[in-house]
Amino acid sequence: MSQSTREQVMRHLEAVGYLQPALHKPQQAPYPDEIDHSLYRAYTRSAHDVGGEPDTPMTWEEKEEEQWELNTFATCECLAWRGVWNAEERRRRQNVDLGQTQYLGLPYYGRWLLTAARILVDKQHVTLTELVSKIDEVKSRYEQN
Amino acid sequence: MSKIEHDRSHHAEKATGIGDPQCFHGEAGPAKFKVGDRVRIKNLPDLFYTRCQVYTRGAIGMVTEAVYESPAAEDEAWDNTESPEWFYSVVFRQQELWPDYPDLYANDTVETEFSERWLEAV
Amino acid sequence: MSDEHQHPPAPMVDEVSDFEVLEAAVRELAIEKGLFSAEDHRRWTEYVHTLGPLPAARLVAKAWLDPAYKELAVRDGVKASLDVGVDWINSPPTGFGTPSDYCNLRVLADTPTVKHVVVCTLCSCYPRPILGQSPEWYRTPNYRRRLVRWPRQVLAEFGLQLDPAIEIRVADSNQKTRYIVLPVRPEGTEGWSEEQLAEIVTRDCLIGVAVPKPGVTANTKRPVRPAVHPVDHHH
Repeated sequence: MSQSTREQVMRHLEAVGYLQPALHKPQQAPYPDEIDHSLYRAYTRSAHDVGGEPDTPMTWEEKEEEQWELNTFATCECLAWRGVWNAEERRRRQNVDLGQTQYLGLPYYGRWLLTAARILVDKQHVTLTELVSKIDEVKSRYEQN
Repeated sequence: MSKIEHDRSHHAEKATGIGDPQCFHGEAGPAKFKVGDRVRIKNLPDLFYTRCQVYTRGAIGMVTEAVYESPAAEDEAWDNTESPEWFYSVVFRQQELWPDYPDLYANDTVETEFSERWLEAV
Repeated sequence: MSDEHQHPPAPMVDEVSDFEVLEAAVRELAIEKGLFSAEDHRRWTEYVHTLGPLPAARLVAKAWLDPAYKELAVRDGVKASLDVGVDWINSPPTGFGTPSDYCNLRVLADTPTVKHVVVCTLCSCYPRPILGQSPEWYRTPNYRRRLVRWPRQVLAEFGLQLDPAIEIRVADSNQKTRYIVLPVRPEGTEGWSEEQLAEIVTRDCLIGVAVPKPGVTANTKRPVRPAVHPVDHHH
């Protein structure tokens, strides 16, 4: 059927993009003199500062919001409302401190959520032990239902 | 154990009924730049955090407005709010920012904001 | 070009994701430790549900009908917002503005020779109190990378092509200012009421990736990524 052929075609055009040659230059724990200024700037960059980087045309999409995403947004704003942090602290932690890999690899609200969890621990409002126990407790609660 | 006490009321006390950045009005002292000034964006080190975009560094633009006073984002991001600065809106020609921006669209511009520390007179 | 390619339906499983588990854990702990109350969280959620693009559309319609109001809107966006029921400082539960959106709305007035379009290259700053939540595409690294450097190409992808002589001004909201675009009033709207005018000022027009047209009262149809456990809108 022509429709399913067209679907195959579109999937193929996307999938071939996954096959890329890569020339890996291993550089774990390099010597200082192996890092020139350009590399230093790249490694210490602010991950959020992407304006002007090349990228390819994409399909612009809308997204239905998850309940947990709205809850996360409200949690982050309530934390700022009640003075646990201000929005700029949140952005710094959420969009830069997280690091380059998590910045691009995690979903948008996944970053908000991890950052909210982190601020509770960093400012000693909870211990990591308490956080981990609570996560475990919530998980068990959901598994029982 | 050593537990730091975090004050959580200072922003609400300062800004309730007033707003942010309104609550910092008058704290930055005289503005160094004015509307119409040509400015170059400084290439200060952007270690750990900055809201001065790399794509603007070294570019020359024009101040269109002194917009408000506020702690610089680089300081506010650690809740260091004692030294607010003036913030300015600056317009750049696209051809100033990007070497390959087409002559056909020579009128195109970008407008964005900077805290005073990022600007130097040209 | 058709925008009707199918997305697979969201998986119909009752699985709870790692994100959902963590979200509940963080919220419950924050409440247990007295960082904020359950009532605070409920109030903020309710406040978010009140937000959408209609006040901004009305601001534009009013500005089209009244040159003095347009001048106010351009000069003092926060003051002009009061006339469409948005108090940037006092409407949010905080009483000092929303933590993330601040209180410095600037209205960018298009002219026959200047077209504005908005992006936040650093994150996704957006004028929520007057425009609601940002669309997914606005938050993407792709939009944030490209709009500031290739605006003509990106706008063409949104279906907007402008005369080369027109100045396209990209406003990058990187600090505390939040922007909406006040487009040029289109032809064919002579004698229209404020309500009729507001109807054609869509969210996309207020961001600047579309221009208002008589008869067009919705954003361009795009694929919608479904949620697994979507927000319950019955509130």
